[in-house]
Amino acid sequence: MTEEKDAAHVAAQASSKLQVLLVEDEPADAELTLRALRQAGFEANADLAQTEEEFTELVRKHCYDVILADYKLPNWNGMESVELLRREGQDVPVILVSGALGELTAVECIKQGAADYVLKDHLARLPESVRRAVRERALRQENRQAQEELARSNRDLEQFAYVASHDLQEPLRMVATYTELLAERYQGKLDANADKYIHYAEDGARRMQKLVQDLLAFSRVGRQGMAIESTDCNVVLHASLLNLEAAVQESGAAIESAQLPVVMADSSQLIQVLQNLIANAIKFRGSVPPLIRVSAETKSKEFVISVADNGIGIAAEQMENVFVIFRRLHARAEYPGNGIGLSICKKIIEQHGGRIWVESGAGQGSTFRFTLPAQATTKGGYGQNNEKS
Amino acid sequence: MKNPEILMVDDNPADIDLTSEVLAQSEGHFRVNSVNDGVEAISYLRREGKYVRAPVPDLVVLDLNLPLKDGCEVLSNIKADPCLAKIPVVIFTSSEANSDVTRSYKMGANCYLRKPGNLAEFVAAVQSMAQFWLGFASLPKRERR
Repeated sequence: MTEEKDAAHVAAQASSKLQVLLVEDEPADAELTLRALRQAGFEANADLAQTEEEFTELVRKHCYDVILADYKLPNWNGMESVELLRREGQDVPVILVSGALGELTAVECIKQGAADYVLKDHLARLPESVRRAVRERALRQENRQAQEELARSNRDLEQFAYVASHDLQEPLRMVATYTELLAERYQGKLDANADKYIHYAEDGARRMQKLVQDLLAFSRVGRQGMAIESTDCNVVLHASLLNLEAAVQESGAAIESAQLPVVMADSSQLIQVLQNLIANAIKFRGSVPPLIRVSAETKSKEFVISVADNGIGIAAEQMENVFVIFRRLHARAEYPGNGIGLSICKKIIEQHGGRIWVESGAGQGSTFRFTLPAQATTKGGYGQNNEKS
Repeated sequence: MKNPEILMVDDNPADIDLTSEVLAQSEGHFRVNSVNDGVEAISYLRREGKYVRAPVPDLVVLDLNLPLKDGCEVLSNIKADPCLAKIPVVIFTSSEANSDVTRSYKMGANCYLRKPGNLAEFVAAVQSMAQFWLGFASLPKRERR
């Protein structure tokens, strides 16, 4: 355990009230334990549980800061309280306060979830142990809250993106069709400025339609569950290339692929990832025809799949930015697009429990790599995961 | 079919205008009438109130998202009414949701057509709908009511 440096925090804890549940059959020992805490400045209030039934009833009724449990009790042992709390879904630190406890047993107890163990003839150690356990629980709770908050705000954002893009489509369709109608009927009949304005309006409407559709696709990645199944990446690559046939032919791109692994993934989402990466490799090509290599590496716990190109590359300071939604590195006239493609890739890969990054430099081509865990894990989706946790 | 009658149910005047224009310019001599919400649609079809002299449509073009009574309810009213059930209903909507498509067909819609997002496709969709339903397809004979 690391040394605590936050002295102010410690002081605040020391003077604080402490709700203690003692699991103890010896009243004299219980008294000694409490005295050790009070001497160290705790205002300790304690309940006593001697049996499993009493313990269960008390933890259901009260909120304890810490549980101090004897390892050996006549009818059960203190470690069972750890398991019981877990079943009750309660995060209360359990410190074993016990007579001689072999080194092996002690280590085993910590492994199983006890916060610490203190020997009854070293009760002077107890206050510091309690302080640390309480502090660690507070941190865990803060962490959990932050994570829940983040998950909630992500869900809200997705919901917002979905509703907004869905409801935007209808009025947008009106703008698009009627500016087109305007162009069809009145192009060349007004003056040059009018033609230009109509063109701008048409172009804007069309771009916004694409944007709304892409945003909808982005929000769908999180909304729809994943169908995780055994997926042959060679087949996935083939499918994504079929979708890109026109772009491949038009650019004269050469695609080389090595033997790719079979992974646990949602195949249609994986097709989208490879398709977006290859489409980018074609779009951001240099003066020579694109050469794109798709390869894979097997590491101990994951597969690393790479898509390497000979295109214009990405300046070092921009490499973090490419995965951010709506972030574009080029003028629209140079390279069209709305900056959603790579953020969709990132979302899909992270949802599969993997990572995605890029290695590149200006004028050096880019290599996008992503990992997929060798065994399926899912975040947020409802994929199958038969592993025992 | 001679002078086919179409009832368009849509709360968006822009879509009614565009559809009417496309149909006016095609060869079928279509007559397009329109109402803007679901309650009006049912009154029209049942010839109630001001619609007592309304012609019986040969085709209903129905949006899903309607005020007062939504398209699905209108559809189920039509299909549950022995006098109206034989009139083909084309759902014409901007909804892409698969659930809307499935539900519409399950409720007896004769066709589900999504309103395309650009002019050329919109024109093509309306033209082919009219051509198919009021040209190639055999429809029940009109009865005097």
